[in-house]
Amino acid sequence: MRIKLNIGMINLLIHHWKEKQRSFFWKKSIILNIVFGIVGFYILLNVFVIGFFSDQIILKLYKNKDLLETYTGLLFYYFSLDLIIRFLYQKLPTISIQPYLTLPIKKSTLLHYPLLKSGLSFFNIVAILFFIPFFIKVVCTTQPFLFCFTWFTTLLSLIIINNFLNFSFKKYFSKYPLLILFLLTIVGVLIFLDKTKNVSCTAYFSNTILIIANTPFLVIIPIVLSFLTYYMAYFLLKKNSYIEDTYRNNRIKTDSFLFLKQFGEIGDLLRIEIKMILRNKRPKSMFYMSILLLFYGFIFYQNKTLDNYMILIFTGLFLPSLFAINHGQFFFSWESSFFDSYLTNKIAISNYIKSKYLFYLILSILGYVLTLPYAIISYKIGIINGAILLFNIGISSIIIIFFCTYNAERINLGKIQFMNYEGTGLGQFLLLVPIIGIPMLIYYIFKIFNIPQYTYYALGGIGIIGIAFNKYLLQILIKQFKKRKYKMALGFRQK
Amino acid sequence: MIEIVNLEKVYKKKIALSITELIIRENEFIGLVGNNGAGKTTLLSLILDLIEPTKGYVKSKETLVSESDDWKNYTGSYLNEGFLIPFLTPFEFLAFIGNLHGKKNEEVKSFLNENSLFFTEEFSSTKYIRELSAGNKNKLGILASFISEPEILLLDEPFSNLDPSSQSWLKSKLKKLNEEGVTILISSHDLKHVTEICNRILLLEKGIIIKDNNTNTETLVELERYFNK
Repeated sequence: MRIKLNIGMINLLIHHWKEKQRSFFWKKSIILNIVFGIVGFYILLNVFVIGFFSDQIILKLYKNKDLLETYTGLLFYYFSLDLIIRFLYQKLPTISIQPYLTLPIKKSTLLHYPLLKSGLSFFNIVAILFFIPFFIKVVCTTQPFLFCFTWFTTLLSLIIINNFLNFSFKKYFSKYPLLILFLLTIVGVLIFLDKTKNVSCTAYFSNTILIIANTPFLVIIPIVLSFLTYYMAYFLLKKNSYIEDTYRNNRIKTDSFLFLKQFGEIGDLLRIEIKMILRNKRPKSMFYMSILLLFYGFIFYQNKTLDNYMILIFTGLFLPSLFAINHGQFFFSWESSFFDSYLTNKIAISNYIKSKYLFYLILSILGYVLTLPYAIISYKIGIINGAILLFNIGISSIIIIFFCTYNAERINLGKIQFMNYEGTGLGQFLLLVPIIGIPMLIYYIFKIFNIPQYTYYALGGIGIIGIAFNKYLLQILIKQFKKRKYKMALGFRQK
Repeated sequence: MIEIVNLEKVYKKKIALSITELIIRENEFIGLVGNNGAGKTTLLSLILDLIEPTKGYVKSKETLVSESDDWKNYTGSYLNEGFLIPFLTPFEFLAFIGNLHGKKNEEVKSFLNENSLFFTEEFSSTKYIRELSAGNKNKLGILASFISEPEILLLDEPFSNLDPSSQSWLKSKLKKLNEEGVTILISSHDLKHVTEICNRILLLEKGIIIKDNNTNTETLVELERYFNK
């Protein structure tokens, strides 16, 4: 039996590898894969370098404090953020279990396999790369062997706990995506309390770990906890492994966004687009990701940057447009699984294109409104972003829709967004060249004449011209769509 | 009603379809038969302007299907799952199609009641289309093609995945629609069904129409002889 089990595990591994290797995307674009490979390597390298110098960074930031104690305390932040990021982005390695259920492979093998494989997740590699340099440089050189062993085992257990806790989190809470806001709030409150020194979470955290490290037999606690989370995930997976369980049971509203009905055909199309976002993993996770990315504003908008027009304009170009660009870049690809339905039903192409344009406009305005609170930092932000909003409505929208007609790759709506490059072609990157490039070019021209503050007048003006010629521009899009629709439909049909 | 002239579709130097001339007259009920790869779906897709012809053209009511959207007003069609929107519920989908043709939700509901024998999945169901069985997806697609009260109906293998009662329901439904004046073009692998309900049979082989006859008592025997050779 033992032998059989191992063969099952190896087979699964081979199939998984084949699935990856033979996937449509992997075969298609070598250049993109190389690019992503380099980016991935670059991230890991960065993590390693930061890990390597973390002792010096801490010594600089926290003078006169115990290095090991501070480091261990700061890990509190690391692990809380790690959990949140994992919740959002970590893909659970799934293997389509159905074909194997009737084969002579032990069911437990089928369940242990994805769990064990998740150990190789990018997040775990990042964590280990981050800790090891500090461990070798500081802990090993200053502490006795037993302490080193327990300290490291505790951290390793924490990584494992986060890994499998996330498994359970995802299975439980994927139905309630708003939970992430709840989690964010908790972590935010804890960090706030820690910063204001009301409740020192970092101190508690480092004390606990150091106590464990100093009393070696206590190391059993984190080890037991990691096994506990593993089996929690295991039983949850087991419960979900029957085929019929994949059906949803919760009721959904049969009709929503009824107010859009008054806009006729275009309103109907918009309603479908909104339902598409709400009811499918990939566009939904992309939408939530955009919300999170809005917090980048706190990094870009700082007192010292408020006089730097380049940073203000650059941030204004990407921050409020997150929703519009993220969603808009796949405008037609989102519909790849039912594109033929749109082509054969009584939908005028002009209305179809107009609905895309309107949706871009709605998303742009949404982004503007959501980033408006940053105007509290400086009124300039509100004005510049307003001018860029005009530019987005008048010009970027048209450019995005135009380039979308060149994207003929099928998108599977059910997959999660993170590290998912399905449907992404070089076109997606080229798309950014005009919509970010043109405004930046205008900025540089104005800068040569030493009047960079007029850039946003120009952008707003160009936007208004675009809006004025909207009818004409839409005609170009409609023509373009008619020309490209066969090629798009053909690409979308390739599963 | 539909006029096909010099139509040719070539995929990588392989001819998928080549038709010199084919006229589909009003109120005809045509059955397309042929083995896999004979060009049935290609022909239907060309009529629906889903693929671009390599040569030639398709006209519907004297206008080129590739030039104008007018045919969409009076053409109902269901070729495959790609015609369904996977994340809607069956009712939402039918209502969407119905609304496009100016039908109110109440009318869609009464339409569903009329056809409740066919679509047994409760239409108020909260299942999304992507969760339906293959048979129910097929049924839903076929119903959606009826809802606009089309003048022309194009269905690709409508009997596949259907249970026996649904097959006979669909046969009589199609017959009735044809009697009411609807022009119908279906493809099928079931020779009995086709010879039973269609009044004209097109036999395709490697993209070419090799037989084009009105149905008579001999047709089934002839076709069976062809396919058994």
